[in-house]
Amino acid sequence: MKKASSIEPKNLTAQLHYRGEGNPPSSHPSTAVSNCYPGLEMDFRNVWKHIFEGIVLLEYSNLVTGVEPGADEKIQRLVSSGIQYELISADGIPMTAPVTGPFRHSPEKIHDTISLEWSNALAEILPKAGQFVLCKFQNNNNLREILSIDLKVRHFFDVDLNRNGKVVSQRVVIARELAGPGDLTQSLCSPWQNDYRECDCFYWAASRPDFVNVEPGKDGKSKGNNWMQKDRTESGDKKYISDAEDGIAGNPVLISYQDLFAAWEENLRFIIAGKDEPLKKSVKKVKVLKKKKSK
Amino acid sequence: MAIHDIHEIRILPAFAIARLGSSPEPMDNYDWSVPDPVGYRRLVPAETFYIDSNTGKILSRKKPDEVRFRDSKNRIRPISPFLEAWACFKKNGPLVPLTQKHLNELNLRASAVKWRVQLGNNKAFRRTKDPRDKILADTGFYSDFTKRLLLGRCDNFLKGKKIPFGFGQYIKPTPNFPEIRFRFTPAGGFVYGPPPTKDQEKSSTFRAVLKDIVYDTHLGHWKGYQDLDTDPTTTAPASIFANAGSDPVRSLGYLDDECDGILELELQLKTKKLKAFARIIAGPPTFAPDGAPVRTVGDELEQALLGTLLNGKVNRADIENILRRAMETVRLMNSSLMNHSVGMAWADSSQYGRASQPIMDPNVVDNLAIVSRHEQVLLALESGSLAWFSRLLRHYNEVGDLTDEGRRKMPALMRGADGSHLALTRRMVQKIQEAADLFQQHKHIVPGKKPKNNQ
Repeated sequence: MKKASSIEPKNLTAQLHYRGEGNPPSSHPSTAVSNCYPGLEMDFRNVWKHIFEGIVLLEYSNLVTGVEPGADEKIQRLVSSGIQYELISADGIPMTAPVTGPFRHSPEKIHDTISLEWSNALAEILPKAGQFVLCKFQNNNNLREILSIDLKVRHFFDVDLNRNGKVVSQRVVIARELAGPGDLTQSLCSPWQNDYRECDCFYWAASRPDFVNVEPGKDGKSKGNNWMQKDRTESGDKKYISDAEDGIAGNPVLISYQDLFAAWEENLRFIIAGKDEPLKKSVKKVKVLKKKKSK
Repeated sequence: MAIHDIHEIRILPAFAIARLGSSPEPMDNYDWSVPDPVGYRRLVPAETFYIDSNTGKILSRKKPDEVRFRDSKNRIRPISPFLEAWACFKKNGPLVPLTQKHLNELNLRASAVKWRVQLGNNKAFRRTKDPRDKILADTGFYSDFTKRLLLGRCDNFLKGKKIPFGFGQYIKPTPNFPEIRFRFTPAGGFVYGPPPTKDQEKSSTFRAVLKDIVYDTHLGHWKGYQDLDTDPTTTAPASIFANAGSDPVRSLGYLDDECDGILELELQLKTKKLKAFARIIAGPPTFAPDGAPVRTVGDELEQALLGTLLNGKVNRADIENILRRAMETVRLMNSSLMNHSVGMAWADSSQYGRASQPIMDPNVVDNLAIVSRHEQVLLALESGSLAWFSRLLRHYNEVGDLTDEGRRKMPALMRGADGSHLALTRRMVQKIQEAADLFQQHKHIVPGKKPKNNQ
């Protein structure tokens, strides 16, 4: 463990990368997934909800869900009329993108719109923290109605300001105004174990493994196990058993929700070098609990 | 040189992630090494602090013999990060770890440093919108070295019930270990809930699930809660809570001991009070600890801090790190299965009515073939491989391109935070493109430092 002796206060990159004495890599944000849908360690999307002073955004779309206390009358309009408004641009930068592609009824094409994830969409807005930018909101029920409101961009990181509002000192901790205690994890699964069983969560494979014990099969193609398979002791080519293998969700050969709630530590195996962690003799076999029919 | 004042104080790391585990024995420190450029990272024991949790003193600092994620009873050892106080003694001076010696020079005791932990679990509140469903723990400011339980309280809990979020401990500075630091140890990863129904009372399965019965169904409505199709503010995905089955999906009222919040520090000097804070989170373990996700919170923070442009400061270590993480992701992903009918292939059809087709040619999407392709790029950065890779990257505003070509862009088969196909951060894309351009001009890029004390 290399002991850090000093860091320049202005070297914010070094402070961001600093892991701390005695802390393993997995304690650092560089090991936490950020393609949050909804995420594992946190739902990072929540950090953007209060990025504009006066309004509250939905974490995953451009919908305005509320206004902050004391917001002026024009901002109040975004929620007071019972109409839903969506933020479609900020400082001229679009917050949405078109969805295109072949529709299932050929030759029709898909014509839709998706709201972009905040982190990338707002990347050029963040340097304008402390300034007002022109935000355009579209009425969900009447797409021709656009409200234009100047909103102040909040500082993403904790800062000290002088009398003129100029940043005199900055730290690499996310500003308090953006998220209170419990806000960064609020939209995760409850309990978190649910996320290890929900379908199609394989896009976090580096920390929630999916395809394990992989090796070439007799046909040269990859053979391996589903990380959620209870029994991985088969001989010959390994078989990946998916949730829908028997045509129903909740395949009983896979670890169930109940297994996870009751004994996740016993049922989930660490994967080292792509393989199951070796279990020591003293370790009990994977506990198989009664499957609950309803899920 | 003796000090006479402290200009500023900070807590580093500014954002620490604890990871749940029920073992009373916190996880040892370890590091990554990469002996084979396309092999797995090796987990190497690293110097670990061993704490007497009764006194708060560090007893020793040594490397363990091996990296063990479980204790002798098969329980997972929690990741319990240390957070350090750093001080700047004059304006524009360097930040250094604050120690007992510095405090002595200012005629202060270690108890002059006060800590406060505020943690929350707002998962039920996020759904029910009832503020009385917020679970909050607050220690208030304190300065002793005892283990301080972090007890989550909630207005809608049964009388006297709490959810433990773990504990915090101010580590007592000693002559051998004089630094001012705090340790956060998370909870065991348990599930809590409301009293059982008559049917559940008979079920041994139900009794095995809940660590404690805490939620009062007469006060709150988390049990039985339902995400409505007509509510545009449900979570995305919706209905991601323990439930009694579909149609409708109603909450069983389960809660957990995950949390996030703020660690604060106050130091009263003669003429002023210094303050600092950091963020802490308790989440699940990373179950493939010899790798890292392709897009991380670290990438988000770096983009928020430094912007989307590199200004020529691209370095090889950064590029290798991104490509390695991509390789580590595909290694553990069943790419053949994800290519059709599940994951994004399924989502495109169900969300937008896209024609149901595989994303890639099924003949080229086998896991071993995909991993091999990533290895080739990583091994031969200077060849045309990186330029090829860079051209395939999906830009953040192309996530809705569901044409065959659009769906085949990289990272493929994965979901982004907007629910559509994943794009990297704009800064990550810029790094790869700038490096590819330099290689094409036959220019070398600076090797770059391996990120210090990180990755």
